[in-house]
Amino acid sequence: MSVNVVLVRPWTDAHGGTGCCSGDAPDGICLEGRVDGPREHDAEVGLVAETYLRLRAELPDVDVQIVGVNNTAYLLPTVFRAVRRRRGTMAALRELNRATTAGSVLVDGERVGDVTELGPARVVEEVRGRARPLAG
Amino acid sequence: MPAIAVAAVVGVLFFLGYRYYSVYLADRIYGLDPAFVTPAHQFSDGVDFVPTNKHVVFGHHFTSVAGAAPIVGPAIAVFWGWGPALAWIVLGTIFAAGVHDFGSLAVSLRHRAKNIGTIAHDVISKRARTLFLLIIFFLLTLVNAVFAVVIATLFVANPGAVIPIVVEIPIAIFIGQYIYRTRTAALVPSLIGVLALYLLIWVGQQVPIDLAPVAEVFGIEARTLWVILLFAYTFVASRLPVWLLLQPRDYINSHQLFIALGVIGLGMLVGWNTIVAPVVNDVPAGSPSIFPFLFITIACGAISGFHSLVSSGTTAKQVDKETDARYIGYMGAVGEGSLATGAVLAATAGVVATRADWDALYPDFATASGGAVGNFVNGVGVFANNLGVPLDLAVIFAAVVVISFAATTMDTGVRLQRYIVQEIAEIAGWHKLARNLTLAGVVAVAVPLAMALIPGGGDAGYTFGVLWRLFGTTNQLTAGLALTVIAVWILRMKRNPIPAVVPLVFLLTMTTWALFSQFWDFVQAETWSERWVLAPLDAIIFVLAIWLIVEAVMALRGGAGRRTYDEMGSPVGDDTRTPTS
Repeated sequence: MSVNVVLVRPWTDAHGGTGCCSGDAPDGICLEGRVDGPREHDAEVGLVAETYLRLRAELPDVDVQIVGVNNTAYLLPTVFRAVRRRRGTMAALRELNRATTAGSVLVDGERVGDVTELGPARVVEEVRGRARPLAG
Repeated sequence: MPAIAVAAVVGVLFFLGYRYYSVYLADRIYGLDPAFVTPAHQFSDGVDFVPTNKHVVFGHHFTSVAGAAPIVGPAIAVFWGWGPALAWIVLGTIFAAGVHDFGSLAVSLRHRAKNIGTIAHDVISKRARTLFLLIIFFLLTLVNAVFAVVIATLFVANPGAVIPIVVEIPIAIFIGQYIYRTRTAALVPSLIGVLALYLLIWVGQQVPIDLAPVAEVFGIEARTLWVILLFAYTFVASRLPVWLLLQPRDYINSHQLFIALGVIGLGMLVGWNTIVAPVVNDVPAGSPSIFPFLFITIACGAISGFHSLVSSGTTAKQVDKETDARYIGYMGAVGEGSLATGAVLAATAGVVATRADWDALYPDFATASGGAVGNFVNGVGVFANNLGVPLDLAVIFAAVVVISFAATTMDTGVRLQRYIVQEIAEIAGWHKLARNLTLAGVVAVAVPLAMALIPGGGDAGYTFGVLWRLFGTTNQLTAGLALTVIAVWILRMKRNPIPAVVPLVFLLTMTTWALFSQFWDFVQAETWSERWVLAPLDAIIFVLAIWLIVEAVMALRGGAGRRTYDEMGSPVGDDTRTPTS
């Protein structure tokens, strides 16, 4: 089975800061955990986490990644390459944009829905359905 | 010599460093094991601890470590000639930054993804944690001060850049809200944001904003007024949720980073600009000597302690296989070294066409420091001009790129400084300060603001040059602390600590030498600001450096062997998760 799943981080799960000496370093600085971000209290972050853990548990052979919208260096080339192989350049460009929707579920580069709308169980079923023909 | 040829040689050297030295470090020094269960697997929670593809982690790690800081130091340091500046960048990246960034990640992976401050507490001493916080406090104070001066200076020199930068803030908030509320794709709106920004460059050129008349009413310089306004803005911005302003603006800026890198590379290739600066500059008498000052002027770009905070914070929680640490950590250092190389070339090949023109820009150290960022901006402007962009617009474009990154640095820097203030206050028992975000924010802003406003700056930027060197020393001390942790861990694994000890000794020697030398200059100076502000500040950082040396020697002599390790290199009897989880 060679299905690749990418869960795009919710918009509120922000890792702000770019560059030396101001990058994403709260975890590297705070010793007592006083990071005032929204992550621990954000329902959507929890939903992505649950989806991720269920995918890993129920479909251990599937490659699952959680990627931030702003991780351009990975997200854009990966989606573009994956979709262009199957559907051509124009479709790949369209999919490139759709892939940067926060909370997206991407299967082999294509956006199949939103974690919040689908929910963990349906995401697992969706991925299982796409993986089955490949496995067979 | 053509700049592009120098860039190619540096690229080959970086490749060799990654291909051979990082493999040696991975196999023989850090002993990376593909079967080791990383914290991402051990504590997998789908939020912080997520086993992630190495290219994903690298994408995040690289954007967290590469920004404006590796531009400024190299643009100043070419004062000693492009040869020494480039040599330190190349050797520092391969033999110091690579060891440090990669090592911080490797050690953190073996300590359940704890950060360097916490690991220092475990493997060096309890005091090391306080030392860590104090060093980071001064590091962030100086970062925020110097970048406020950088932005203010660029605003004064390029009044056309004011409108694009200021209007970018509401644009970013609007785009962020639009993406968040409508749950739409982020790419096209952010690209529209970039286009709007570049359209505003034209508007800015037509309507330059000069604050000099307003500043005159208050009896201050325009640059001073800009510094005050910038800190007022960052105080507010650092209290906003990250996703509201910082994330959308970072996203727009990340497109700018790729555009700027493309412009520098292509512009150099198309224009075939040659380096007109001397390989080794015959600097005027009385200038700071190349030893030790080159090695603290270029911190970010050769070795930056800040990277250990990123490596051992977020990055370590996402590494899938331990062997991925080589690619993520070492290549992060190489990426920053590449940016620094671009800065050297922009300030020596792009900015002017003749040696005489270059000499006029770098006649003495004070002018070189004050004009460094402007020289880089003008150099990138020339590279963009090679691609057909009108020169005056190209220069504003370059200024907008640098200011955008510097502004992001300040936003995040003040926010991180607030965390540090809270941490220190908690340890000191000042609970009111630790838990009051506004009060902690005021402290986080007031200290660097005072530093940035130290008189003596003027057009020559003297104070900026000094503050930049003090910033370099604190960044090198942070690296020194991380290298000490790495060296102690390697020793306890009964492996060869030399690859970590050599850069550690070199950095601490250069840092203490520079601090000591500067201290006497400040004490003997005529201005009150040097004698009563910079001299005590230098002395405090010097004390921290000596403290670090004592801790390092004690730890390396085995005096801190409280912790025992299993055969996998993880501490025995520590099943706790990282404190920030």
